[in-house]
Amino acid sequence: MTTVYIADTGVFVRCGGPDKDKFQRLRRAVRQAGVSLRIPQRVYEELGGDPTADAYPSGNIPYPGGFEEGWIVVADELDYTNPLVSTVMDEARRFIANETDRDEDITEKTDTALVGLAAQVLDTGEADYVILLTTDKPAGRAAETLLPQHGFSDRIEFRYVSVEYLETITANEFR
Amino acid sequence: MAHSPPRSDRSPIQQLQMVADLLDTPALARLYAHILQHGPVTVSEMVDEIDIPQGTAYDYVQNLETAGLVEKTREQRPYEYDAESIALTLSTDGETQTITPALIAAVACRDENKDVDVYIERHGLDGLAVALEYAYEYVDGTVNHRIAARELDLSPLEAEIILQALEPVATEYADAVA
Repeated sequence: MTTVYIADTGVFVRCGGPDKDKFQRLRRAVRQAGVSLRIPQRVYEELGGDPTADAYPSGNIPYPGGFEEGWIVVADELDYTNPLVSTVMDEARRFIANETDRDEDITEKTDTALVGLAAQVLDTGEADYVILLTTDKPAGRAAETLLPQHGFSDRIEFRYVSVEYLETITANEFR
Repeated sequence: MAHSPPRSDRSPIQQLQMVADLLDTPALARLYAHILQHGPVTVSEMVDEIDIPQGTAYDYVQNLETAGLVEKTREQRPYEYDAESIALTLSTDGETQTITPALIAAVACRDENKDVDVYIERHGLDGLAVALEYAYEYVDGTVNHRIAARELDLSPLEAEIILQALEPVATEYADAVA
């Protein structure tokens, strides 16, 4: 069974801070398990696109090293011509708007990118199972609710990446 | 047995001055937040729990007591103190902001959590108060950092940093808001 791990911006922010212990722990766990974390392109842009974040201890994330070592990879572009991907993303947009009590117009593609990527890797057969590592509860719940409605029951899992989760993470989480 | 005078005897200006000091002095804010969460407590228990010199702690407790924000709940030594929750709403030119115990607790963590400190430097205490409102929603799962970023005019990364930094305070004080 192939499991694909998709990680969100919040995972790496949680890893930040002056000591970076949590980053090293995550790195060790992922590498020992011999897996990689995929990040949607929009997450990649969020992580790298903001010089103002450098002033924050937690904004100084040593994630480029993860690319060099190969345990963080940027996912393929989302294929909006795939009807499943675009349908699930539209549904996720409505779902997130509803969960957050916002107008649908305020939710954007970035909000739904995690769900779209999960749908894509399941639909193309690249993954049998997807684990979403995120601090985005509305998006996590959208994925867990919507993908089973498209035939992917028991094939998606949302893990909220809390401080405790990263402080205790081991390779077992990825097996 | 001696009784503390009722709180209404304190002048509002005196309390306002004290609240201003709380927002300006993280160690004082830490002490107040600690009494509020864990009181009744003695000064030596406070000194054990939070990183603050004993003499300073006695001074702070006395100032808070004078302003009516804490009171003795045990009149024999060792004295025990408990804190009164505050909610001070200020209005200026149509803008209204309420200073709550959670906001004091958020200020209290700026010494240990430099993300909070940088955020205050950059966006002020009003900005922190607004971010704290989003942090409650973030904990509840009714907002994500991307929506917060758009509504607060921050980058998504900065939004996620401050929401995570305020998550412990928002979690601890969630019941007080509900």
